[in-house]
Amino acid sequence: MSEIARSVADTVRTGQRLPWAGPALILAVVLIMILGPRVWPVSPTAQNLLDTLAGPSLAHPLGTDHIGRDILARVVHGAPLSLGFALLVVAIGAAIGVVLGLVAAERGGLIDILIMRFTDLMLAFPGVLLALLFAGFMGGGMVPLFVALTITLWPQFARMARAIALQTLAEPHVEASRLAGLPPAAILARQVLPPVLQQTVVLAAFSVGGTILTISSLGFLGLGMQPPTPEWGAMITELLPYIHQAPLQLAAPCLCIFVTVLAFMLGGEAFARRAMRGEHAP
Amino acid sequence: MIARTVARAILARLIQAILVALALSTLCFIFIYILPGDMALRVAVGRFGLEQLSRDMVESVRRETFIEAPLAGQYFAWLGNVFTGNLGYSLVSNRSVVSELWRAGANTFTLALIGWALSYAVAIPFGIWAGLRPGGIVDRVTAGLSAAIASLPSFLIGIILIWIFSVSLGWLPPAGNRGPHYLILPAATLGIGLSALSVRVIRNAVSATNDAFFVTYSQIRGLSPGRAFVRHVLRNASTPIATFAALQFAMLLDGFVVVETLFNYPGLGDMLVKALVSRDVPIIMGGALLIGYLYAAVSLVSDLVCLWLDPRQLEGARS
Repeated sequence: MSEIARSVADTVRTGQRLPWAGPALILAVVLIMILGPRVWPVSPTAQNLLDTLAGPSLAHPLGTDHIGRDILARVVHGAPLSLGFALLVVAIGAAIGVVLGLVAAERGGLIDILIMRFTDLMLAFPGVLLALLFAGFMGGGMVPLFVALTITLWPQFARMARAIALQTLAEPHVEASRLAGLPPAAILARQVLPPVLQQTVVLAAFSVGGTILTISSLGFLGLGMQPPTPEWGAMITELLPYIHQAPLQLAAPCLCIFVTVLAFMLGGEAFARRAMRGEHAP
Repeated sequence: MIARTVARAILARLIQAILVALALSTLCFIFIYILPGDMALRVAVGRFGLEQLSRDMVESVRRETFIEAPLAGQYFAWLGNVFTGNLGYSLVSNRSVVSELWRAGANTFTLALIGWALSYAVAIPFGIWAGLRPGGIVDRVTAGLSAAIASLPSFLIGIILIWIFSVSLGWLPPAGNRGPHYLILPAATLGIGLSALSVRVIRNAVSATNDAFFVTYSQIRGLSPGRAFVRHVLRNASTPIATFAALQFAMLLDGFVVVETLFNYPGLGDMLVKALVSRDVPIIMGGALLIGYLYAAVSLVSDLVCLWLDPRQLEGARS
């Protein structure tokens, strides 16, 4: 999925004029995710069969769904399941990938070949197929979803980290510090890691966007998180039959997905531009 | 030399296909044995429906399928079958997996091809237009639209299209497959999703090539802008676009599974999702293998097209 996201790097040009739009939006959605349940402490699963498909009101600013649950509460509680989950998946996937990529680049030889062949094999799978099989076979819980998404993510980070590490290791200042007797671990930590991390942030931002899309797609297919979990994709499936009576309620989770993914796409673009500027700086 | 490079490209992708097949079949095999829940029960529900289900039916399913056989021998029998193309019979419909794959695959192929064609029918003209005038109005509008579409999951694009064209206007059917016009909405959903990115890839390739000195030089030499464009810009810009084709297949894969489910279209993705729900393992295996092979095949075609468009890669392989 995040191959798709990465190609969006070239797509988003609006960020050029508003370089803070992406990072600011990311901050906003993360804040909503953390503070939302406290500001709006309504249960996302409490049903009220006397008040179904109600329009917006003071008690329910975004209305209620087909069994009378508060849409605002569901959308807010859905954020950790989509965004929070995606952040966790990307953090773990990136960590695994970066460590493997750095080890491959630093050690070279047989270890490099083994790690990179394995990475290639993983990349030869269509990632979505893997996620489908995992989620489908193991019954759509959180753990299978987590495993499936992480497995499809790390190879890209490994490849990126190795490429940049190899480039950096060949630079004169790294050679100089090696000659000066700095141990390999220190060289990796002080000189190779910073440029790798800079690109990791870029790839990670796009991956979060892509992962949220995958989570919602699997939720929509009924293979992701299961109802009554207020995951945004699963919410859309539940509300779809009521598209006539409750268009606003259906639009809420749709907009949540859209704004969150857009935030990370714009953010990734902003980070990419920063990384590029840093490279060209004297 | 050329033959050797081409042979190497083919060999690499063949090995990829074999490894993918091996890994997928092993993965499926493992899943069946670590998976929670009673598989025979899930299969019986898929076959007879939840209402008519009885204990006898579950037990008969358990007896007649491979579920109870010993493990190690089964694994090798399984691998042997996969590699000889004997994919067995659906546990639910009892039809041969190959014939089911053939039927669903043909439907998906039609849908994917129309979607792909639609996406390029939109992306090529607008991508070239935007690429020739970077920063112009077309460039900015397509950039904004692409960013917005890329931030939507494909099922949402489909829902929006259904909302407009079936629910509000009533022009097109919302689901099913009972005639050519049933293909329009799903194909458009796929096409819109794909073109959001390909329009930017084409734009970037065209704009980068258009800036290259050999294009300026060909015009100094006296070629008209149109001929310089056809001879130098188009050919050089097509390499990244062809590379992108393989990536697009991965996106198409995500797209068609979701789009087929949304529109209830009887293709591979719909079949795979239903088979996953009813634990119809032979069908899941067959579908997954077919998709894995297709992925390798598309990568191979993309490699070969790149070699053909940019013979310098052949030179590079020599040195």
